[in-house]
Amino acid sequence: MAATESSRYLARSLPRAFVRSPRPQHLCSRRSNSDHAPSRSLSDDLNDLESASTLTKSTPGPEVQSFDPLAKARSRKTQLPSSRYQYRSPKYDRGPLHPHRPPPPSDPSSRLFVPGPFSLPRVGQTWESTVAPDIMTLCYVHNPPGFKPPPKAPRLREWDDSSPYHKNRPLRGPRGGDVLRLLRKPITFRNIPKIERITIHSYVKNAAQGNSAYLHTAGMVVQAISNVRVQTFKSRASIPAWGLSPGRDTIACKAELGGENMQHFLGKLIDVVMPKIKDWPGVKATSGDNSGNITFGLEPSGVALFPEIEVNYDMYPGHMIPGCHITLHTTATADKDARILLSAMGIPFHGKVPRY
Amino acid sequence: MASGSNGARRIASLMRPSLADSRVCRSCQETLVRRNYSTGTAQAAPETPSASSTSQSTVTTPVLNSKHIIQAGVVLSRPPQITRDLTPFEKSFFFYQKRLNERLVLPFTKYFYFRPKTPLDEDWKRKVKERQTAARDIGKYNAYSKDAWNDELLVGATEHEPENAMETLVKDAESIANATSQDAAKKEEVPKPAPRVTEADKQGDQKSLNRLLQRTLYLLVQTNEGYWKFPSSPVQTEETLRAAAERTLEQAAGINMNTWMVGYHPVGHHVYNLRRPKMDAASETQILGEKTFFMKGRIMAGQADLTKNEQNLKDFKWLSKEEIAQYVLPQYYSNIKNMLPDR
Repeated sequence: MAATESSRYLARSLPRAFVRSPRPQHLCSRRSNSDHAPSRSLSDDLNDLESASTLTKSTPGPEVQSFDPLAKARSRKTQLPSSRYQYRSPKYDRGPLHPHRPPPPSDPSSRLFVPGPFSLPRVGQTWESTVAPDIMTLCYVHNPPGFKPPPKAPRLREWDDSSPYHKNRPLRGPRGGDVLRLLRKPITFRNIPKIERITIHSYVKNAAQGNSAYLHTAGMVVQAISNVRVQTFKSRASIPAWGLSPGRDTIACKAELGGENMQHFLGKLIDVVMPKIKDWPGVKATSGDNSGNITFGLEPSGVALFPEIEVNYDMYPGHMIPGCHITLHTTATADKDARILLSAMGIPFHGKVPRY
Repeated sequence: MASGSNGARRIASLMRPSLADSRVCRSCQETLVRRNYSTGTAQAAPETPSASSTSQSTVTTPVLNSKHIIQAGVVLSRPPQITRDLTPFEKSFFFYQKRLNERLVLPFTKYFYFRPKTPLDEDWKRKVKERQTAARDIGKYNAYSKDAWNDELLVGATEHEPENAMETLVKDAESIANATSQDAAKKEEVPKPAPRVTEADKQGDQKSLNRLLQRTLYLLVQTNEGYWKFPSSPVQTEETLRAAAERTLEQAAGINMNTWMVGYHPVGHHVYNLRRPKMDAASETQILGEKTFFMKGRIMAGQADLTKNEQNLKDFKWLSKEEIAQYVLPQYYSNIKNMLPDR
């Protein structure tokens, strides 16, 4: 019955596409000649489509080969005023009803446009072609068809109504602590762990004593190795022994890497820097925040091994090169999965793996 | 009214060799209470589950004693060694984005990288005069000139090709080496990156592991009858699938390989039904065919060696996914193609 119903609707709706509606179908407010072209049929539109694929090379015609934009521009006798051919995006977005709206940020003429991507990094390709299928195979758990997992206890516990004051209280947290851990879902092709972003953070001890040269150097170093503008931070705590008072001195800098920058940084870290660090056993296996983010530190001698620092090492004051903490944020919800991912990407772990 | 208690149907299900049960492994059959159409409708009635489970227990001991031979197979693969070739669109897009970036970023701070009045500084000045920009992969382009608007490549230009960027980098490194070297007469040579197409590719040597560096390669073996397949052999009693896979690999392709089996679960399976079921005299069972479960493996080093194989194999090849389709039977390929990654 359902099948016949839907086919009836289909039959009714099909011819509609081929009948020209009296009103123009598009929402464009501009009128152009093509809007009024006499009865363009569907096949005409199909003929307009380019037959060449972007995956192959095309052979240009003679008029294409002789095209020289510079010579054409220079041969012009009179130049139009720039307002006639240059578009400047309005500075503010005044809402959807305003007549002048800025273009979307992906448009090169937008004020918010950020160019990129510039390459297809090796790290991302390795994850896609090798690491992701392997993790999915490793983490597969076989359940027979029809298997239903046993019901779990609720994550937030009820109060036993032993006291009249239990009424309308919010639920109790889990046993052993008030923190609700992230749920670990079975790994399928939809949620294979991947590296989301990387944070490079450098606390500069000597910057607290009023010598900002250390912080400037640290900022330059972190910027150089990460290709990202750094943010600086002031102290929030008051620790007299370290000379810290809240809000007085800028003492730390941080760079957040994502996308292409992150992948290039990770590639350099794993393939260039880590093998060269002397007497370093690897990242501690107990590192991690229980939700799939793993942090480790690099000493100043390790930071100096980055190719961007090595190429003009003399330009940095040697004793001012900072150490840093590097946090690898993954989409894994447990440290165990994050370690599987990172060790597959090539980061060495050492020490005893914590038990859960 | 529950149809599970329909006598005629129960007798019929007892009489025929039940296909549905032979598809589920024994451990699964034991762990779950199976539901077919009759029990599905019978779920509403509270007393029927016990009735249906008793009827199932009688069905699981088939009247006709027939089985498939369980085999363990190994999909041994070498992952891609280098990045893939970019499509023409990707090359053009990345190049255009680089030039847009050149127009938007702050200019290169030369004084942070080159001390004045050094050979490197002189070399830098000469190079910038030549190519007008600090970047070495965007061709000759000055983002601060009057003609900076002309940032798009014309049809047929080669500036966006990665080989072009590589050549520029090598030339650049050579000129640095020449500028800083003590001996002016001697020309410095900078090692170029290894070619992306190897000797084995040119010779069409399908036994080499050094071919098709951009693709995953899989080990295929040829039986004495002439069929190509992944290495596989029957699972022995008291042997896990993974142990069987490791043994298969050792018996088929020798021990001269450093391999890693990925996980303990198969990634795919292939069912081969004999045209005419065979009687096995020893166990008095009818053999319907073979079921092969493929375990995933990675090769780290070494090479396959079939000289001492114990599985009647005569040849091996390392093939990519598309090439496998040309060698194996269509039915076999349709069963294995979904467990092989695209690249």
